[in-house]
Amino acid sequence: MLEVRNLTYTYPSNDRTWCFDFQVFRGQCIAIDGPSGSGKSTLLGLLAGFLRPTAGTITWQGQNVDQLAPWQRPMTSVFQEHNLFEHLDVQTNIGLGIHPGMKLSREQKQSIQMGLARVGLAGYGERMPSALSGGQRQRIALLRALLRNQPLLLLDEPLTGLDQDTRSTLRAMLVEQKAQGVTMVLASHDEEDRQVLADSQWSL
Amino acid sequence: MPEVVRAPLSHPAWQHWPGSLLAAAIILLAVCGAGALFWQAPALDIGDLWASRYLRSVVLFTLWQAFLSVSLSVLLALPIARALDRHRNFVGRGLLLRLMELSLVVPTIVAVSGLVSMYGRQGWLTVVLQEWLPFLSWNLYGLNGIVLTHVFFNAPLATRILLQALESAPSTQRRIASQLGLGSLWLWRSLEWPSIRPVLPGIVALVFTLCFTSFAIVMTLGGGPATSTIEVAIYQALRFEFDAGRAALLALIQLLICGTLWWLVLRKGLNTALVPDRQLVISHARPDAKGVRKLLDSFLLAAFVLFLTLPLLAVLARGLPGLADAMMPSGFANQGLQLLQATALSLGIALPAGVVSVVTSLLILGVKPRSANTPISRLLETSAYLPLIIPPLVLATGLFLLLRPKLGIASEGLALVALINAMMALPFVMQLLRGPLRNLDPASTRLADQLGIRGWYRWRWLHWPRLRRPLALGLAYGTGLSLGDFGVIALFGSPSAPTLPVLLYQQLGSYQINAAAGTGLWLMVVLLALFGLFNLIGKPSTKSQRLHSPKPIQLETSDA
Amino acid sequence: MHFPAARFLLALLLPLAATAQTGSELTVYTYPSFASDWGPGPAVKEAFEQQCSCRVNFVVLESSGDILQRLRLEGDSSEADVVLGLDTGTMDTARQTGLLTTHQIDTSSLDLPITWADNLFVPFDWGYFAFVYDTEQLPNPPVSLEALIAAPDDLKIIIQDPRTSTPGLGLLLWLRHVYGDQAPAKWTQLKDKILTTTKSWSDGYFSLFMNGEAPMILSYSTSPAYHMAIDKTDRYQAANFAEGHYLQVEVAALVGSSDQKALGREFLRFMLTDGFQRHIPLKNVMYPAIDLGPELPDVFNKLITPSKTRYFKPAEVAENRRDWLDEWLNAMTR
Repeated sequence: MLEVRNLTYTYPSNDRTWCFDFQVFRGQCIAIDGPSGSGKSTLLGLLAGFLRPTAGTITWQGQNVDQLAPWQRPMTSVFQEHNLFEHLDVQTNIGLGIHPGMKLSREQKQSIQMGLARVGLAGYGERMPSALSGGQRQRIALLRALLRNQPLLLLDEPLTGLDQDTRSTLRAMLVEQKAQGVTMVLASHDEEDRQVLADSQWSL
Repeated sequence: MPEVVRAPLSHPAWQHWPGSLLAAAIILLAVCGAGALFWQAPALDIGDLWASRYLRSVVLFTLWQAFLSVSLSVLLALPIARALDRHRNFVGRGLLLRLMELSLVVPTIVAVSGLVSMYGRQGWLTVVLQEWLPFLSWNLYGLNGIVLTHVFFNAPLATRILLQALESAPSTQRRIASQLGLGSLWLWRSLEWPSIRPVLPGIVALVFTLCFTSFAIVMTLGGGPATSTIEVAIYQALRFEFDAGRAALLALIQLLICGTLWWLVLRKGLNTALVPDRQLVISHARPDAKGVRKLLDSFLLAAFVLFLTLPLLAVLARGLPGLADAMMPSGFANQGLQLLQATALSLGIALPAGVVSVVTSLLILGVKPRSANTPISRLLETSAYLPLIIPPLVLATGLFLLLRPKLGIASEGLALVALINAMMALPFVMQLLRGPLRNLDPASTRLADQLGIRGWYRWRWLHWPRLRRPLALGLAYGTGLSLGDFGVIALFGSPSAPTLPVLLYQQLGSYQINAAAGTGLWLMVVLLALFGLFNLIGKPSTKSQRLHSPKPIQLETSDA
Repeated sequence: MHFPAARFLLALLLPLAATAQTGSELTVYTYPSFASDWGPGPAVKEAFEQQCSCRVNFVVLESSGDILQRLRLEGDSSEADVVLGLDTGTMDTARQTGLLTTHQIDTSSLDLPITWADNLFVPFDWGYFAFVYDTEQLPNPPVSLEALIAAPDDLKIIIQDPRTSTPGLGLLLWLRHVYGDQAPAKWTQLKDKILTTTKSWSDGYFSLFMNGEAPMILSYSTSPAYHMAIDKTDRYQAANFAEGHYLQVEVAALVGSSDQKALGREFLRFMLTDGFQRHIPLKNVMYPAIDLGPELPDVFNKLITPSKTRYFKPAEVAENRRDWLDEWLNAMTR
């Protein structure tokens, strides 16, 4: 279970303060909605460890994780954009998610190729991100997130701005993950996304 | 919880200590170098020095010529950089950029000879000018020549940096500008000026320092002692008066003036790259790249190309007979072999110097101070610019005094030459690497943090691909600057085998005018080959290039 | 020639690896053009090594000023046994360092325009400073210093800075010797004819004079000998000035801290023999310090013969140089 207790953050620049308090059970998805600037990204940044909270705790499965560095936390983020390193090809982008030094076993390399086939991008491994469409890029970002095999997924508008076909493919992938026990925190404007994925909803 | 992979060299200490220690060592080296001179000096009379009318006039003149050179270099560089930014696909653009990079390392005596054959009293251009515009009386010698030569050396450098700044304007803004069809003036105000403004103080300080400390150019073309720089006075004090104290004091004045300038610039925090890093840039159609503007740009660029290449062509024309003699079978056994031996020795000093300056720069830049105002970050910044301001002669003499009892054999002397050369290249190399190393965009940093790509892994996968080209260019700069160096090696004294510049001066001293011109040309050829070679090494492999090239479907870069 | 590539490689690497030696070694500090392949250095080295069973090791410094500078920096621990390439302008400063020792050799064979009696310094060549001109640009050069100074301002000359160059200092002394206290005023008159004042002789000769920038440059009366003998051209000649020409004598000396003093003295003695001196005229382009007789190349007989030798005693130069330089600076920057 992910438990967020009294998690407080004050922006140094303008003194705006946020405070969050909620919990998500394992294998469930909580969806957060709200206009831009309402604090969705702040929350996800705090969870991932990109921002240091001023007060409060985050625990996962009873263990305190708020003092851990981003790379030590059991979670993966997918953002609306900028998920890929532009100077690296697709398979390296994915591989770095599996091992940060690209030290991959044969099975892991195979799993990348299989994953690419699964998201309809077989043979795209050596392409550069700049040669891909927005939908293709998001599919790769999501694929990497799944292959990382972390129990927590932080999703910041991952499907916004994509065409209908891609959205439904990605949505299906996320549903599948949930079924396998992955816990999710989803920030989204989209009514349909929330309805399909979320077990509980919450508006900021 | 899954196991966290620990990246090698990811302990914070690795980012901190090697770089900080090196920076401290550089400052210590500079302080000791200058300090040793003071220690040698029996007594100093500061009042006497300040009272000297001559010295005051030298300082004023130095300031004046540096001011003019900087203004003209930047004023010329601005329109050229804009034109180059507007037109990204013309034939020879790449070559022009390489040429601009080269200008920094052209040995002065070679460049001056070329400029004189163009603009001197008997120069090609002067003769043409007198034919067509007889009422214009042009005289190279004096302020004219000094400023012209400084512009020749520094305008390309300034252009290259400005172009880099222009190209780094966020692509989203470019897209908007492109869609709105903004006119030239609006583009300037909305896009160009905001991206140029942060680098401008740095360019001014850099070019000012280079002109302020210029020496051979000022003497050869200056006309007489009325146009001297402080470095001339330092040289005189050190070489002919044997007055170490006076030299140290003069060096201190120079340090004070240039140091103040850098302090003013750095106070605001200079975190932008001053020297180009050759990033992959996606081109956007510029609405103002058509019509009359295009014609004007073409004219401007053509004139600039001529300005840069004609003197070099003169070097070629003058050096070809001598070089041909050396390469002929008859002359090869003697002259040609000597040329090659000198080249081997030069490279033996210059390549290590290049490597040392690149590695040192990387380690120093690798230190990430928590804020821009900590003593550590000041230390780091200072170490980057100090070598520009301390006259190499003062540094070399001081170090000689310090290390003298330990300098046993000639090869140790050569190692010291390589070390000092490396240090002199440091400011340029650091500028070159600063951008790609420091300016990892926030999105990538966030991503790398989460994925645990840290320490060595971050280096390998995030910095190295972006650093390849700047690193190669940094190596070229470091090696090139050392290759053309004459001052430091002359002080330490070479054993019978000369380096290329020493060979050049030997030939000059023996009336071997043709051979000397040939050696000058050869030096240029070696430099050109070096830059070309390093440029090739810096290019990504053909495979990934092929993958780079397909037309982007979505124009998007990871600017945040 | 079975392995041309290997031989070639060896030739490239050899100078880098030439450190292992046998027998005693004589270290000589000198300036670049002396030790270069076109200078007398290599031939002199070979000739001396044949008779001494030792090795001569040249250490090349940027100029004659640097030889002295290096010596001062090193003090008692200098590697040098002999310094070769000081001249009458820097001699006395070198003497005052106390780092040199007496030569104790017989200098009666010397053949100089002045009588030489010095216990430290042994001359190895000499020459006159003179203005060399391009006969194609200037068929009728000035015939005297006075005529040069009075010439119209469109006659341009290139000189060297007395603060950084030996000939430059030579011209300063020349004017001083001819005009005495009037020298600064003469400099003021000369000023507008000076196209530029270069740091070194090489800068001016190579970048400017040989590019045809000015018809006249301050150089040596012996310069034309090189152009006539090696370049086979009479185009460049020295102007003979009626007031006479200033003399430069280049000298060598034994370093006091040397542990090879006997060998050093042998070298200085050898310096005044034909074996050394025959290489001076065309390789150092100066007059030999002894009478070479018929071995003196013919072109040397075509050179100008000054009517009077202008010369200050080295001690006088050392004493006044600073003042004279300041006077010059004042005259030139006014």
